[in-house]
Amino acid sequence: MHFVTGGAYNGKRKWVRSLHEHTQWLSAYYDYPLPLRSNDFLEKKIVLEGIEMWIKNDVESSDGSNIRANWKTYIQTWHDWEQEQGDRRIIIIGTDISKGIVPMNKLDRTWRDVTGWVYQDLTVLSNRVDIIWYGLNQQLK
Amino acid sequence: MEKAPVFFITGGVRSGKSTFAEKTAHELARAHTGTLLYYLACGRGQDEEMQQRIELHQQSRQNSVVPWQSGEFPRDIDNSIPFYNKQTIVLLDCLTTWLDNELFSIDSELSKRRLQNVFDKMMGSIETIRKHCFSLIVVSNEVLLEPLSSSEIVRAYQKTIGRLHQELVARSHQAYLVESGIPLMMKGSK
Repeated sequence: MHFVTGGAYNGKRKWVRSLHEHTQWLSAYYDYPLPLRSNDFLEKKIVLEGIEMWIKNDVESSDGSNIRANWKTYIQTWHDWEQEQGDRRIIIIGTDISKGIVPMNKLDRTWRDVTGWVYQDLTVLSNRVDIIWYGLNQQLK
Repeated sequence: MEKAPVFFITGGVRSGKSTFAEKTAHELARAHTGTLLYYLACGRGQDEEMQQRIELHQQSRQNSVVPWQSGEFPRDIDNSIPFYNKQTIVLLDCLTTWLDNELFSIDSELSKRRLQNVFDKMMGSIETIRKHCFSLIVVSNEVLLEPLSSSEIVRAYQKTIGRLHQELVARSHQAYLVESGIPLMMKGSK
């Protein structure tokens, strides 16, 4: 599993495209629903783009208490699917939304918190983690 | 015509990016005899606090060993070209204010085309300046590490500043992210 993060409009998509070919893109930015199971995966390389937006949906539709645990399950499911065959790869793109002023709105604060926790859980299971800074990558793991 | 190398420097508010940019300019001036320093300010002292910040930076430059020339160009910054030459190290401070001035000083809708025009104009100005100076140091701000704004105008700004940063980093000789006074070299080598 490869986790790619960095600020908005920093060229994450372009960088992933240049690194991974023949991918199936499932993007939250184009309203693709969160793939809870691996049934949606048609290619060997799957890109899940904009996961912070799927997390936001979860935050808006529940009280926020189980979201991190639920996401641990999703991540594990994706990881297991990848491990079943050697040539499978899951690439996850998540925008870093953690460094602004604390939001006024409670939902936005919860969203920011949960997103940070999910990113931490993601990096544990990922064998590679990159942060993209204006098109340049810094490999953290 | 040969183009001057670009040094891109960014960081959060009060991260020490301007101080590091001035230091970079001084180091370049010391390393290359006969070079001059020019401070290209894009900010206008609209309120008292802004004026104080400007004066603080002005003082620090006045105390410097190598003298600075300076000029204020809120927009159309290539109008600064007559004030320097191929021996000048130009410090542009800063890109975020400049974009602000280009986007919002005219009351016009922020269509895709308009944003593209502003982007092209700004990159064009930078390339023109590069043909007329020795080195160009560009200072900017880290402003994209929070959720995108719910306001369409702010999102248009966020997208454009992101594109400008990517383009500048791609064209830069060296790129730095300054964190609490410590410059992290993201591109290039010393």
